[in-house]
Amino acid sequence: MRGLFNKDVLFFGGKGGVGKTTCASATALAASRAGKRVLLVSTDPAHSTSDIFERKIIADPTEISPSLHAMEIDATTESQRYVKGVKAHIAELFGHAILKEANRQIDLAATMPGAEEVALFDRMGGLIRGEDDRFDLIVFDTAPTGHTLRLIRMPELMEAWIKALSRSRRAMLGIEQDDKTDPIMITLNERLERLRLLRARLVSGRTTGFVLVLIPERLPIEETARAIEQLDEVGVKVGTLVLNRVLPAMTQDSFLAARRRQEDVYLKEIDQRFAAHRIIRVPQLESDVYGLAALDRISALLTATDLNGRALS
Amino acid sequence: MGIGQNIRDFLHGVAYGRYEHELRMQANQLNDLFLLLCYMEIVGLPNPATLYLLDVYPYLIDQFHLWHRRMGMDRSPLGNLPCC
Repeated sequence: MRGLFNKDVLFFGGKGGVGKTTCASATALAASRAGKRVLLVSTDPAHSTSDIFERKIIADPTEISPSLHAMEIDATTESQRYVKGVKAHIAELFGHAILKEANRQIDLAATMPGAEEVALFDRMGGLIRGEDDRFDLIVFDTAPTGHTLRLIRMPELMEAWIKALSRSRRAMLGIEQDDKTDPIMITLNERLERLRLLRARLVSGRTTGFVLVLIPERLPIEETARAIEQLDEVGVKVGTLVLNRVLPAMTQDSFLAARRRQEDVYLKEIDQRFAAHRIIRVPQLESDVYGLAALDRISALLTATDLNGRALS
Repeated sequence: MGIGQNIRDFLHGVAYGRYEHELRMQANQLNDLFLLLCYMEIVGLPNPATLYLLDVYPYLIDQFHLWHRRMGMDRSPLGNLPCC
């Protein structure tokens, strides 16, 4: 786990309810305790980060513990912020008549399906590219797997579109005028450049780490296997898995013992199927996790397993 | 304007003059395609890059106007994209 502290960006993904927020928060807290300046970003619409830290977390980075900032971003707010930014930008460049018309078009386009998701993605992209230099490490607590995969694939998709647009534009400009001075071409090229940089950072194992969280049950195992495969298709390697809520091996209780026997089958299967990955086991605790003290305990478990192999399972 | 520029213009005219009309037509068609790509959402075709085109819109308003005039329509044919 400590190796992950040296990355620039960490993503935590996994099926809903397996403990993504807990693991992401505990990791962010551990990294901040280890001297990193950390930003924890929740993109999950469920927004449990506020609950786990027992305080309201807003859309801008706020310090919640020494050298740990947190923010919760959601698509609707980001889309409004994006539109506001564009309007401010064009207000400096155009006259009143054009602005009135353009603003109407912009408002219309911003309500199109998918626009909010792109705005959210754009904000994340800015953070991943390192626009905010106050932080050494950014930890993303993402929404369940499907949503995360879409976000990771977004730069590729966008690049294809912007490329098609600029090709079409350049073909026309080739006849009429120079494409170096065309403001549309300049805007499109700028976009393309930023998307390329973002994609390069996402697929670079040196700067970005992906952690998938799962629990020893059938559905999370299958979803994890699929996520690894699909991320691999877009060039992203998942290094670490956190196997959360493993029952203690020693128990007198017959109900728990029966569950543990079933779990053993899954634990073996996980070790076999995910042999190429580093698996960190976190035991089921006697109480649920919220508040700094409980998170520190999970942090200790996450980092200790790393040092003592699988001693804690 | 110096004599060099005059000679350049003359040569340009000799080389491209008789193709100019055709080239302009082609440029217009390519521009129409570009407009369609930018306004896909408005005619009901999903385009995931729409949000990234917002700051291009002000540059396109005049071109959209020219397009519907060129197509023989006095007013914008798209109710949700009125330009005049």
